Amino acid sequence: MIIPAPITALASFILPGLGQCLNGKFRRGATLFFSFSTALGLFLWRVATTAHREILWSGRFAKTFQLEGGFLIVVGLGLIAVWLLGIWDAWKLAHLNKEGKRQGSPWLFVLVLTLFFSIGWQISEIDLRKLGSEASEAWVPLSKVLWPWEASYDAVTNTTEASTTILADPNGTPPEIVPAQEGQPSITVFPRKGVLSSLDENNDVVPGTLVTVRGKGFFPEEEVQLWWADAMGNEFRPRYESQYVTTLTDSAGAFQVKFAMPYRLIPPSATGPHIHTVMARQIQDTGEIVASEPLKLTINLIIETIFMGMMATFFGIILAIPVSFLAAKNLMSGSRLGISIYYITRTILNIIRSIEPLIWALIAVVWVGLGPFAGIVALTIHSVAALGKLYSEAIEGIDPGPIEAIQATGATKLQTIVYAVIPQMIPPFVSFTIYRWDINVRMSTVIGMVGGGGIGFLLMQYIRLLDYKAAGIAVWFIAVTVSILDYVSARIRERFN
Amino acid sequence: MLEIKNLSMTYPDGTEALKDVSFTVEDGEFLVVIGLSGSGKSTLLRCINRLLDPTSGTILWNGTDATSLGHNQLRPLRREIGMIFQHFNLVKRSSVLTNVLAGRLGYASPLSTLAGQFSAADRKKAAEALERVGLAPQARKRADELSGGQQQRVGIARALMQDPKMILADEPVASLDPVLAHNILGYLEDLNTESGITVLCSLHYLDLVQRYATRVIGLRDGHLVYEGNREDIRSMTDAQFKDIYGQNAERIATGSITGGAPS
Repeated sequence: MIIPAPITALASFILPGLGQCLNGKFRRGATLFFSFSTALGLFLWRVATTAHREILWSGRFAKTFQLEGGFLIVVGLGLIAVWLLGIWDAWKLAHLNKEGKRQGSPWLFVLVLTLFFSIGWQISEIDLRKLGSEASEAWVPLSKVLWPWEASYDAVTNTTEASTTILADPNGTPPEIVPAQEGQPSITVFPRKGVLSSLDENNDVVPGTLVTVRGKGFFPEEEVQLWWADAMGNEFRPRYESQYVTTLTDSAGAFQVKFAMPYRLIPPSATGPHIHTVMARQIQDTGEIVASEPLKLTINLIIETIFMGMMATFFGIILAIPVSFLAAKNLMSGSRLGISIYYITRTILNIIRSIEPLIWALIAVVWVGLGPFAGIVALTIHSVAALGKLYSEAIEGIDPGPIEAIQATGATKLQTIVYAVIPQMIPPFVSFTIYRWDINVRMSTVIGMVGGGGIGFLLMQYIRLLDYKAAGIAVWFIAVTVSILDYVSARIRERFN
Repeated sequence: MLEIKNLSMTYPDGTEALKDVSFTVEDGEFLVVIGLSGSGKSTLLRCINRLLDPTSGTILWNGTDATSLGHNQLRPLRREIGMIFQHFNLVKRSSVLTNVLAGRLGYASPLSTLAGQFSAADRKKAAEALERVGLAPQARKRADELSGGQQQRVGIARALMQDPKMILADEPVASLDPVLAHNILGYLEDLNTESGITVLCSLHYLDLVQRYATRVIGLRDGHLVYEGNREDIRSMTDAQFKDIYGQNAERIATGSITGGAPS
C-alpha cells in the first residue's frame, strides 16, 4: 500500500521517523526517531542542568542562552534541521515509493551525525583557539622538558672556610679564641659580643651591633661568602641592607667586611651563653662535573621500574598459566561443570582486565602500603587477567592435527603433550609474554603517580615542584626505555611467529 | 590381517558416521576406500587405530581385538600402524627431523623422549627414512618451510619410523596437485610392493584409484556399498563410479576437481 506523500510528511512532522515507517522504511524511521529523541534529550538535559536554579523552561532557556549561547544555538538549530529534513525525507520517500524506487537519500543521516558531533564538540568544551593562545605558556616548561640535560650534572666545587665565634649577648664574656693554624685561612670578628638584629612591634628590623670581620690566608681576588650559625648550629647566610654579605679578597688573600649581626629568633626558654659562629667561605669551581641528584634518582628509579615490570610479568605468567587452562573453551567444553567453570573464569578475567592497573594500584597501596611492591601487585593482577585470556586463546588455537598424528604413533599422553601441544604453544606464549612485559614496564612508569613505586612517583613530584628540567630527565629516560623495549619486544615476537 | 566386523560409529552429537561396515584387508594389499566427503572414510580409518572409539563392532588386527583394548594397551597396536593425513599434521614449528623422530615415540623410552633425547639407533633410522623420501638435505629446516608435497613426504617418513605393518592414509593427496599426487602415491606403492606394507588409503579420483589400488571398497552415508578387486576397478566405468560418488564426480584428468570437495 502506498500512502500519499502529504500524510507521511505530516506523520514525520508530528513524530520524527513516523513518516519513514509509514513508507515501509522501519529501520530508517526507528534510527531517525531514536537519534532525534536522544539528541533532544541531551539538549534538554544540558539546558536543565546549566540553569538548574530556574523552574520554568522559558527561564532555563534564557539562562542557558546567557551562559552557553553557542551550545543552545548550534544544537537547537541542528535539532530543527533534522526535524525539517525528516519531514522532507518522508515526503521524498513517498514519491520514490510511487516510482518504485527503494533507495532513500543519505543526507538525513549525514545531518544526524553532524548534530551529534556538534553536541560532542560543545559538551567536551573543545576550544581550538586555546591551542594557539596558550602556547607561549607551555613553551617554557616544554623547552626544559625537551632538553633537560643542564640539570643532569653538578659542578664539583672546592670550599675554603674559616670560622670564629661571637657571643650574642652584650653582657657576657666572649668565648676563647682558637688560634688559627699557620698557613690556613683565618678570620677574626670585632667586637666579639653584641646584640642580634630584632623586630619591633611593626615587624621592622632593628639592626643589631655592627661587626667587622677580617680574614687572611684566602685565595686572592675571589669572592668570599659570609655565613652565620646560631647557637644550635643552624647555618644561614646573613643579609645586610637586603644583600647577602659577600666581599672580594685583595691580592694578598685578605678581606674586611662590616655588617650588622643578623636577626635570629631566640626562644625565651633558651638558657646558657648564646655562642654563635661566623664563617667565611670561598667556593671554587674545580671544572669537574658529577651526576646530579635528579639524574641519579632517575637512573635508580628507571631500574626499579624495569624490574617492577619484569617481576609483575613473572608473577603474572605463573598465575596465568593455570588460569588459562580453565579459560580455554576446547579444554573445558567436555562437561557441564567444565563449561560453567569456563564461563565463570572468563567473566572474572574480563572484569579484572577492564579495571585499569592504575586503579588496581590504588587498591594495592591500601593493601600492602606505598612502594614498588604495591605496583607489582597491581600489575600482576592485571597481567594475570590479560595473559590468562591471551594464553587461553592460544590454547584454543591449537591445531588438533599434530596431536592426532602423534597419538597415532603410539605415543603416551605425556609424549603427545611434549611433542604436539607444547611446540604449538611456545610461540604464542613467548610473544604474548614479551608483549605483556613491554606493557607492564610502560604501565609501571605511571603507576608511581598513585604511590605504586617506579619512576612515575619521581616524575609526578618534579612536575608538582615545577622542576621541569628534572622532570624532563625522567621523561627522557622513560621514552628511551620504552622505545628500546618496544623494539626488542617487536624483534623477539617476530622471531617467534 | 585386518578384519572389520559390523563396525558402527555414532558421534556424541548423533551423527551416524559408520553403519554396520564389514570387510577384510589381507596383508600386502593396497586397499582404497572411496566415497564422498562425509561418507565415513576418515571415521573408518580413525577407528582402526582407535583415534576414535567405535560404538559397536569388532576390529581384529592380526587376531587382537582393537576395540577391546584399554588406553594403555593401545601403544603396541598403534605403533604397528602408521598414519598419514590430508593436511600432513606435522608440528609446523618443529624441525623436519623432530617430526620424523616423533614417529618413534611409540617405541622409545617415554622418559628420555620427554627431554628430547632419542637413541643413536633412532636417529640413524630417521636419517634413513628421510633419505628414502628424498628429504635428507631438509632435515634441519622447519616443517612449515617445506612445500606441500615435501611435507607429505615427511609424513610418510614419520610413519616409516614406526616400522609399520600397515599404513592408514587419510586422503593423502587431496591437498596436492595431480603431479604431486602421483609422486606421493608412488612412494606408498613402493612401500607396498617393496616392503610389503599393507596400505589402506582413502582417495577421491577414479584415475588414481584405478592406477594404484589392488582392491577397492566404497562407502556411502556410512554404508559399505561397493567392493571390487583390481580387475573390477580397471573395468569400472564412470557410471559405476558416479553411482558411488554421486553425480558430480569427475576424473582428475579432466582438470576440474569437483568429485566431492576434499574434506
